[in-house]
Amino acid sequence: MKRMHLWKIAAAVLVLLALAAGTVTANGQPEERVLEFALQGNPDTLDPHKTAGTLTFQTLKSIYDTLVEPDASGKIVPALAEKWEISTDGLSWTFTLRKGVKFHNGDALSSADVKATFERIMNEETASPKVKDYAAIASVETPDEGTVVFKLSEPNSPLLATLGSGWSAILPKSLIDAGHDFANQPVGTGPYRFAEWVRDSRVVLKKNPDYWMKGLPKLDGVNINIITEQTVAVQGLLSGQLDVAYRIDPDSVAQLESSPDTKVETRLTALTLVMSINCSRPDLNDVRVRQAISHAIDKQKVLDTVYGGGKPIGTFMDHDNAYYKDFTDLYPYDPAKARRLLKEAGVGQDRVFELFLPQNYELHVKAGEMYQAMLSEVGMNVQIRLVDWSTWLSDVYKQANYDMTVIGHTGKLDPDGTLGGYGVPERRYVRWDNPRAAQLIEQGAKTAGFENRKVIYDEVLELMAREVPFMFLGSNYEFNAMRNNVYEFRITPKLDTFDFRWTELR
Amino acid sequence: MLRGTTANRLYYIAVAFLLILGAAALAAPWIAPHDPVAQDVENRFHAPSWLHPLGTDNFGRDVLSRIIFGSRSALLVGIVSVSIATTLGMIVGLTAGLGGSWTDNTLMLVMDSLLSFPTILLAITVVSFLGYGLLQVMLAIGIIYSPVFARMVRAETLALRHEGYVEASRALGTPVLKIVFKHIVPNLLGRVIVQGSITFALSVVVEASLSYLGLGTQPPTPSWGLMLKDSRNYLVQAPWMALYPGLAIALTVLCFNIIGDTLSERLNPRLQKK
Repeated sequence: MKRMHLWKIAAAVLVLLALAAGTVTANGQPEERVLEFALQGNPDTLDPHKTAGTLTFQTLKSIYDTLVEPDASGKIVPALAEKWEISTDGLSWTFTLRKGVKFHNGDALSSADVKATFERIMNEETASPKVKDYAAIASVETPDEGTVVFKLSEPNSPLLATLGSGWSAILPKSLIDAGHDFANQPVGTGPYRFAEWVRDSRVVLKKNPDYWMKGLPKLDGVNINIITEQTVAVQGLLSGQLDVAYRIDPDSVAQLESSPDTKVETRLTALTLVMSINCSRPDLNDVRVRQAISHAIDKQKVLDTVYGGGKPIGTFMDHDNAYYKDFTDLYPYDPAKARRLLKEAGVGQDRVFELFLPQNYELHVKAGEMYQAMLSEVGMNVQIRLVDWSTWLSDVYKQANYDMTVIGHTGKLDPDGTLGGYGVPERRYVRWDNPRAAQLIEQGAKTAGFENRKVIYDEVLELMAREVPFMFLGSNYEFNAMRNNVYEFRITPKLDTFDFRWTELR
Repeated sequence: MLRGTTANRLYYIAVAFLLILGAAALAAPWIAPHDPVAQDVENRFHAPSWLHPLGTDNFGRDVLSRIIFGSRSALLVGIVSVSIATTLGMIVGLTAGLGGSWTDNTLMLVMDSLLSFPTILLAITVVSFLGYGLLQVMLAIGIIYSPVFARMVRAETLALRHEGYVEASRALGTPVLKIVFKHIVPNLLGRVIVQGSITFALSVVVEASLSYLGLGTQPPTPSWGLMLKDSRNYLVQAPWMALYPGLAIALTVLCFNIIGDTLSERLNPRLQKK
């Protein structure tokens, strides 16, 4: 009997110890729930108004808020503004600010901060690369502390998405006036406060206990570790040094799925993966040749082999976009038809097409190798040229000195962000000339209401599908890997920023 | 004595290996079991088997066939770039060795400044200036390694020009060019050949490195460096993709080094005297 008692006591003590270990560390303090996150590169700056770099916005999403924000489906919902109203002529937008919001430095949010923020963005000295997005704003007025009115010079529907994007982050007026160094010391209203940034190593974020969403964030902090090498991130996850790694290589998925400690979440990206075709080049200015290129490519095969799977698209819009329309049946995989079209157009082996591949994007390079093989199959003489990113940006994207190239266009919250400028050959690198499309796109930006705009963009997307300024491949899956105890790792659609407010470590 | 025979044996093994490699490069279209660029994605990451003795890569291409075809760019780069380096180096070295002190100093200053750069960094600079591709890589490697030859040739020339028979020949009024080709160049050749075989090994490595960085051979043309680059993400899944091209590079470089070492012992008059 006595022995039995001892056993029971010992077991109870062990259970208690195990429970305690879960919540309390050795020094008796409650355990800090800090998420170790892997980011693929260093943000160039932490000033949201002075960059277009995705890495910056991915870091700042936790520190700053915007007036409105996209929800999980991409719909724009209230954030720092409780509600807003747009006048019938579309020229006056009134935002009512949420009460009781505090900046990390203690300032209470008021309309003066909002006005100062947008004046900073539109100030030439700030040199914001996104300044054109705000061109329609004529003035910002503050009738009282809780109300902001944007006066527009002409109707501009894409502005709402702009106000919900990271580059419209609201900064405190007192620090703007003081010339604060936002590039290194960001101060916002967001769910986490900035603690430190060790360049090339990590950005440390601490919980904001005064955050305006009650009960959020759930974590005590986030360490954003800068890890450029994919294999290092994968090893870090396996060994437990990292909790989450974003967009891991499709070829690492099997390894992480088979580990008992890690899980992989699959999500369709908002990327529009394409092989861009320079429509101003000889032979490629013939729509039959461009159709032949589309017929020559087995899209699903490339998506599955290179991009980790995905859904084909037949036009220039990401698959899950509300404005997407299916044209995949228009020029499907049909090598025989491709051969016939090339013959009709008189394209033979003597015409050498140069396929430029940005060599820092390994997946696009691999896709390019498959395209080259498939196009050779139908009789096109295609030569691959690997180029570094800066050469790609200047020679291909800016000067359009290329025949074909492989790239993915990122999704945008507003369709004008995706389509703006197409149809005017000088404005976009595919040099596609289509006045009708250009006119529709301009009209779409000035039209209000989803239904009204959808009709316009449907026609634009059909024109693009028929004229093939790109070989439209598809939107691919992305794979986000995490330890088993991570829940609610959310990614803002289109903007691809990380929303750590709901994230939990259980 | 025993050491001598082992070294000899190694030397013959190395020569035999390189001869086989050369023959394989020449006969690639006939001996490669598959088309090196043909993709077969249904059969990607196939482990070595009878059909694919060294496995298949991420596009289902046959690794053995790609290694055989890859030997062509490796050897071609070696031959052409060593020829460029030797020719450039000898011209500069002879001019510096025979010319006045001003010519000598200027030429050697240029050569030394080239030597002071790390090899790969200089190669990247030259290639980004000339453009990507095999031809540019060969030129780049040739330029990079020419100072080694130039320095060596100059030193030898300086020593040789004061030898009795050279001075005698000069006293007889023999034209300079004739002296160079009759008395100086033949005496240099041994050392140039030794240096050449070492440089050959180095150029194989530089070509592989540049291709690895995406600056050399352009896909889908097979190259050992490019194969290593492709294998990087599949080390766990398909280790053969990295192993065999890596072995090909290592063995080729090793053989050239063995040959270089043996030749330098045989051809070096100073060592022979001992």
